[in-house]
Amino acid sequence: MKISKKISALLLSLVLLVGSLGQANAKRLHAAIADWTGGIITCEVAVAILEDELGYKVKQTVFPSGTGLWEAIAAGELDFACESWPSYAEADDVMFNEDLIYDGKVVKSYKGDGTVDLLGTTGIIGMSDYWIPRYAAEELGIKTWRDLNKHKAKFATIETGGKGRLIGCPVAGWNCHDQKRLDLLGIDFQADELGTEAAAIAEAKAAYMRKEPFLLYLWSPHWFFGEFDMVGVQLPEYKTCEGDTFTEANNWKTCGTKGWPATGWDKDYTMNYGNPATFADPKHAKAKAFFEKMKLSNQDQANMLVQVDIKKRDVKEVVAEWKANNPDKWKSWLE
Amino acid sequence: MSSEATQLFEKQKKTKNIITYAVIFLIFVVALWLSTKSEGPSKFPKVVTDQFTFTAWVNEGEDFLKKNYRWMTKIIAGYIKEGYYFVEDFLLDSPWLLIAAIIILPCLIAGGLRLGLYSGFVIYFWGATGMWEPSLQTLGLMGLSVLMCVFFGVMLGVFCSQSNRFENFMKPILDTMQVMPAFVYLFPALFFFGIGGAPAILATMIYSMPPIIRLTNTGIRQVSEQTIESATSFGSNRLQLLFKIKIPMALPSIMMGINQVIMMALALVVLACFIGAEGIGGQVWQAIRKLDVGWAMEGGLCILFMAIMLDRFSMSFSKTETPLPQNVQKFYLLPQNWEKYQIARILEKPLSILHFLVSYICIKVTDFISYIFEFLVSIINKNTAKEIGDLISKRYYVIPSFIIFFIISFIDSNMISIGSFPEEWRLSIRQPISTTVDNIAVNPGFIAFTKGLRGFVYLNLLRPLDIFLTFTPYWYTMGVFVAIGYFTVGIRFAFITALLLLFIGACGIWTQAMITLSSVLVSVALCFAIGVPLGIIASYSERFKNIQNVVLDAMQTLPYFCYLIPVLMFFGGGIVSAVLATVIYSIPPIIRLTSLGLTQVSGSYSEVSKSFGGTLLQTLNKVKFPLAVPSLVIGFNQTVIMAFAMQIVTPLIGGKGLGLEVFNGLARSDTGRGLAAGIGIVLLAIIIDRISLAWTKKQRVALGLVKN
Repeated sequence: MKISKKISALLLSLVLLVGSLGQANAKRLHAAIADWTGGIITCEVAVAILEDELGYKVKQTVFPSGTGLWEAIAAGELDFACESWPSYAEADDVMFNEDLIYDGKVVKSYKGDGTVDLLGTTGIIGMSDYWIPRYAAEELGIKTWRDLNKHKAKFATIETGGKGRLIGCPVAGWNCHDQKRLDLLGIDFQADELGTEAAAIAEAKAAYMRKEPFLLYLWSPHWFFGEFDMVGVQLPEYKTCEGDTFTEANNWKTCGTKGWPATGWDKDYTMNYGNPATFADPKHAKAKAFFEKMKLSNQDQANMLVQVDIKKRDVKEVVAEWKANNPDKWKSWLE
Repeated sequence: MSSEATQLFEKQKKTKNIITYAVIFLIFVVALWLSTKSEGPSKFPKVVTDQFTFTAWVNEGEDFLKKNYRWMTKIIAGYIKEGYYFVEDFLLDSPWLLIAAIIILPCLIAGGLRLGLYSGFVIYFWGATGMWEPSLQTLGLMGLSVLMCVFFGVMLGVFCSQSNRFENFMKPILDTMQVMPAFVYLFPALFFFGIGGAPAILATMIYSMPPIIRLTNTGIRQVSEQTIESATSFGSNRLQLLFKIKIPMALPSIMMGINQVIMMALALVVLACFIGAEGIGGQVWQAIRKLDVGWAMEGGLCILFMAIMLDRFSMSFSKTETPLPQNVQKFYLLPQNWEKYQIARILEKPLSILHFLVSYICIKVTDFISYIFEFLVSIINKNTAKEIGDLISKRYYVIPSFIIFFIISFIDSNMISIGSFPEEWRLSIRQPISTTVDNIAVNPGFIAFTKGLRGFVYLNLLRPLDIFLTFTPYWYTMGVFVAIGYFTVGIRFAFITALLLLFIGACGIWTQAMITLSSVLVSVALCFAIGVPLGIIASYSERFKNIQNVVLDAMQTLPYFCYLIPVLMFFGGGIVSAVLATVIYSIPPIIRLTSLGLTQVSGSYSEVSKSFGGTLLQTLNKVKFPLAVPSLVIGFNQTVIMAFAMQIVTPLIGGKGLGLEVFNGLARSDTGRGLAAGIGIVLLAIIIDRISLAWTKKQRVALGLVKN
């Protein structure tokens, strides 16, 4: 009995060896796959260039965004992640210690502890707002957020009672503070956090098809705008208060912070970020240089979003197609 | 008993009943009055919640552990990770034919032609839907966790069986392991063990080890006294007794444990995508985010088919074949009881010949190999050579399988590269599924129905109950729970209930707990309203029951992620959708146990009732139902536990309460907050579980089914 077991074990390990011999010894990086399609596309563009042009083998892991992701990168579990939106991240102020540069200009300086490396901008400039469908805006005459309260009954559902309903920022980890924002702006709506982008979009899509009025939190670029005609309610422009130290006493009403959003969102210069130790390694110098130059445009991402989310095509396929058709765009990132 | 005494007894019972109902009604009215009087949701006194900073303690503890013991967990994780990467690389980089052979041949050997063909289909499905890599990743992850579960589980089970004290020590731990939502420990595991395979395997172990520990323990303890006595009289010592007698005799029980471990591990491996474990879970999760029902369903089916395959495979080890009589032809594919039909016999003939041929070749090849080995070894030692030769020639299926593996990998590495699953065999069922669901989602009649249902559930069930439970002062609700605990279980449990509820309150999550409770209660009520009639129909119609069983099996094995999307499309996000998803997930036990309970009521009772002229309804109402109550309550009990378990997933589609609190804690990497909410769910589940179990026992005693 024992000998036969040993023999089988020996045979099995031989088979295993034969199988694993075929593996090539490529340079490896480990990336996170983002929560939303825009982020996935940006990352896929970076991965395609790393793999095809710089000879990497990139392992990709689905990982929900949020502080957990930042900690995983700081701990070296993952090498990099793509397209962080500064308005939504809470960890960036704590963990970056670098300037964010866009078009040669310093957009923001971070003064954190440097446990996470700012790899550079992605090129995507994100905008977030609350949106209503055009038919509702025209029918009800809503031009800005100030008109919302007059028509709140039209936006109410059985769940919200007298208040209007905002299909809010879906994921808890994104730190949107929708309800706080509504309260601070005096909009008598209730923000419903539906848990996933899918839940929010499913609801909005169904409402649009039925031509009902609804108020939706959404960011652009997003495929939703390609398929449905939406109008932003133009929240007051983002303004930071001096000193950034909020207390209940100095109740700011016209300026705010991330955690005290009395205005709309800031323009989001999105960025890629990675583990400092990985990118300090000279063997990844080329990858680091690429990340510093990468600059995908909003329009390119929006086009790919439509292909992926509406035409239901494979992300890798769409990105490969974009890469084949636009060599002039990405070749400049590698110079 | 004289008739007068009976009447008196009946009367007393009646008055007692009236008093009970009156008291319940009174309690309810007072609660209603209190809840309407209060201005907002009832909150625990701030003094208590401020002092009891459980969240901060947990986070400090976590920081301490992270700082001081992380190196240790990292080493453990390193080993597991290496093992996992080895398996993963092997599975992904090998030619697909080799992997297919490694999966199909054992199925063929252990489970016969039927299982072999089925496993071939499963492999094809993985490849054809483009889920080849994720499926193998899931399989590898699961295989490794099951292996480790079995190793540690059997060990702990043996310890439990040897020491009563150890068993008593393990019992509450096992209970907690099973009820604790996996999300709660999934994320802390991340910080100690990194992301990907290692924490996923460890979390899977926590979740799926209890059954094998329990079954090993009971299996060993059940070995009969006589066997043990006779063994001891032959002079075996304690260790010999354990390893030579007890464990081998407990093997069937252990095998059942392995089977359950596989099933549970499969459920968790899907969830593990949240901490970066690759596999089908990640696919389904991505599909959900894109509202792609077809994609999610494909992933779900991959898991479902894998589960069935592994289930049958592990079952085939504990099954012993009954030898057929001489003159009966053995069937390999068709059901054996079709043997009486001529046509079936003809159809099976080629299979018999094939089987004969294959085994003939296998035996000859194995004999040849055993002869070579025997010859080689005999140069050194004649006795061992004979032994080895015998051993090899007995394994006349295993050896040829290995030869096939060798041939495939040899061809792949030296002649033609086989590579990954061929693209041209792709067969996607995404589009049809998606289109079907889309069509249903825009159907005006159906949408009107879903809207009506949503309104009804929200306005008439969820909201009133929500408001009632959250607005009723906490001390009153606690009092009611403690009283129920006292009257059904006893003073000790009442005391424990009070402590547990105090914990929930002191953590500052009382309101969320009440919201969770109301969601669970509404879900369970709906499960009852839908499940009991279905169970009744099933108990009357055998055919309906068979169809229903297949559906229920699928519902229980399909990862619950899969049906979240259709629910979303039809009902929109929100609490109502969360409740409906909970109903779908937790309805199977109540249907099954209703029909079981009703069919179990022995025929004679209903015969008697019928002969006294009882109509169908009367029989059902007066005879069958009361006797089926214990079974019903077990169903209720399981449904409640499953509904609680689902609370952790529903935040993904708009659920509120403790589940959302867990998510919020995790998203901000605030382990304390997540843990407190997770424990809250566990505690509520434990309280309700204990109360309903105790109540069942009372019912059984009252019916005379069990002695007190």
